[in-house]
Amino acid sequence: MKRILATLLVVVLVFSLAACDKKENNTAGTGNNTTTNAPSSSSEGLTKDTKADLEMWCIATESDSNRKSYENAIADMQAAYPNVNFKWEAFENESYKEKIKAAMAADEVPDIFFTWSCAFLGDFVNQKKVYCLDDVLAKYISNGDLPEVMLGNTTYEGKHYGVPLTMNIVGLFANMDILKEVGYTDVPGTYEDLIACCDKLVAAGYYPFGCAGGETWCVTEYLESIIEKKIGADALNDIFLGRASYNNQGVADSVAIMQEMIDKGYFDPAGASLGNDDIKANFMAGKYAFYMNGTWNCADFAANEAFFPKVKVAEFPVIDSAKSQLGQLIGGPSDTLAVAASSKNAAIAGEYAAALGKLICKYGYLDGAGLPAWKVDYDDSKVNGLTKKVSEICAAAKAYVLFGDTAMSAADKDIYLSYVDKVYSSSVDGAGFISGLAKDIR
Amino acid sequence: MSKNTTKRINIFLFLLPALFLFVAILVVPIVSSVYYSFFNFSMIDASDKTFVLDEKEDTSTVVGDALTAKETDDRSFFGKLFENYIELFENKNLYDMGKALKNAFILAALSVFIQLPLSLGLALMLGRGIKGERLYLSVYFVPVLISSVVIGALWSKIYDPSHGVILFILEKLGCADILPAKGLLGDDSTALLAVFIPTIWQYVGYHMLLMYAGVKSVSPELREAAKLDGATDGQVDRYVVIPSIKQIIKVSVIFAITGSLKSYDLIKIFARSKYDVPYNVPSLMLVKNVFGGHGGEGNAIAVMLIILCFAFAILINWIFKERDIYGGKKHSKQQ
Repeated sequence: MKRILATLLVVVLVFSLAACDKKENNTAGTGNNTTTNAPSSSSEGLTKDTKADLEMWCIATESDSNRKSYENAIADMQAAYPNVNFKWEAFENESYKEKIKAAMAADEVPDIFFTWSCAFLGDFVNQKKVYCLDDVLAKYISNGDLPEVMLGNTTYEGKHYGVPLTMNIVGLFANMDILKEVGYTDVPGTYEDLIACCDKLVAAGYYPFGCAGGETWCVTEYLESIIEKKIGADALNDIFLGRASYNNQGVADSVAIMQEMIDKGYFDPAGASLGNDDIKANFMAGKYAFYMNGTWNCADFAANEAFFPKVKVAEFPVIDSAKSQLGQLIGGPSDTLAVAASSKNAAIAGEYAAALGKLICKYGYLDGAGLPAWKVDYDDSKVNGLTKKVSEICAAAKAYVLFGDTAMSAADKDIYLSYVDKVYSSSVDGAGFISGLAKDIR
Repeated sequence: MSKNTTKRINIFLFLLPALFLFVAILVVPIVSSVYYSFFNFSMIDASDKTFVLDEKEDTSTVVGDALTAKETDDRSFFGKLFENYIELFENKNLYDMGKALKNAFILAALSVFIQLPLSLGLALMLGRGIKGERLYLSVYFVPVLISSVVIGALWSKIYDPSHGVILFILEKLGCADILPAKGLLGDDSTALLAVFIPTIWQYVGYHMLLMYAGVKSVSPELREAAKLDGATDGQVDRYVVIPSIKQIIKVSVIFAITGSLKSYDLIKIFARSKYDVPYNVPSLMLVKNVFGGHGGEGNAIAVMLIILCFAFAILINWIFKERDIYGGKKHSKQQ
């Protein structure tokens, strides 16, 4: 497992970093089985006697896969730093995106806040609303606790502004009990095989896929995977990062592919108005054969004893082998903690966020809510099989494309998601999608 | 200083706090919304804004290896000045303000022609002093007391296309096929009505209470006199009670229409995190744009909403004044 993670980090070092800004590609070790660091020993500026009032906002709601890891990490921190009066609040994913922007505009951000890396955090950094964590993270980087490569998406003009938590990719989860009914013992490995499998599933009365149209980011998990495996990771990275126009025929063809899948009855039409929790529950209840979503779901699947033996994870197959290949993935280090520049205790909040982030990463990884962005210096032999499989997929990764709504600026993201919604409701076709985005974004 | 001048100064001083609050809470935000609607900016940093007329014309953009040619800007001065307003209507893929306004007008019409008659009917019924009047009053008023979030969650469960109450009932009746496959909220043909039903239902009790108070204030002597003249209950309501509570009905109509134009909370709950919904309304677009990096367009929507709400309030006042036979200007002149 450690070897896989070490390989994974090297791969991330070489390929991921779909680069929000300049990155410094320092090598970083991982996987040493040294003793577990107590929070106090790893954060010199923060001691047991440190007194401060700190507040944090995050998205680890009761139904979030990361909830347990936050609770465990915060409990550890409160035990280690009893004089820090730490309060935290969790908000639903999409509404949080509006809330944090509104709070930023009004300079009412809490000391520590959850954010997505790359352009999402970049917008706040550009407005000088985020506290620079260079001094705080320096010791973690120098002692090898935090591989600097994991900071690529939170580094702007050479300065670090975020504490990475876990990294995730989009996975193709399959309910093997259903697949067995149509003669499959493994997740289809080629696109043609996947389509043949879907046809058999439809004939057998199953919906192959469930997708939460009520939460547009869930639609992007499907669409971006299809686009990436059609035009290749480099081309998609160029589009998301502003180096190329959306006016790309391959993107239009990808939209056509997804809409054909919808027309052929591969998607549960009820998904149009359902949220992700409903769709995930339906998948676990055996209503759908496949579910494309973030690998943080491994934690919830592993926690369900009845469902866990049925589920497998794989990457979406290649559609155009001339431009794409297996190992090109959607995802990367995105979940991040940052500190508000307006915080009265910014220095302490920075120390606290780093120590807390390290613990969230540890507990999140052990729960299966994501792969570690920090060095694994604890026993991880009990990590669930699904997460281990995700590690293997990532270890063999050849390129990463960060989630589109994270990679682009707030203004572009809203435009992009509006068009993605129209794709799922078939109110715009491939040609309309690329011409509209080319006109409204680039 | 004359007594009159002192009196005027005193009046001015007494009015000053209210004037200050009026300007600070109402005038300043409206004026600033108008001002900001002529700029392009992101709310995260409103200081970094560009006046629409100062925007440099960009005829070509180099994007990687691709050169994207943009159309030459041949708009008039006013075309450029009102760029954010025009964009809201012209860019149907991104904003489609026309559709959002149409939805808001439909909701306003449903409120006036369905919600208010329902409220009036209930108020008249309860106003006759039926048995259990207090209980019915409380029951009808309960939806007003419940948070919109709770109502939204409740109706979402009723509409749920996988496990919803409506689906369950129709399945039991053997006619679940009449439900659209995408669900009532997901299908374009039913979504608008599905969202508006709870929106209207929520405030029936509110308007009922307003009208009930009016009905109860009608003098019992008037009712009795009409009854002695042989009027039925319906005729008493039609010719005595309703004309007496016309001013309250007017207030309800104003509240219903302006409330419909500004409706947000319940619709936002149904929209979840979806970016393009068939029941889009101006307020939903406003929030999305203001916090989505399109501050100019967001403020333009706010200005349009303010103008519409004022215009409707004035129009309704005028309509009721013209037809008011009891207390209007026309009536006063006749006296």
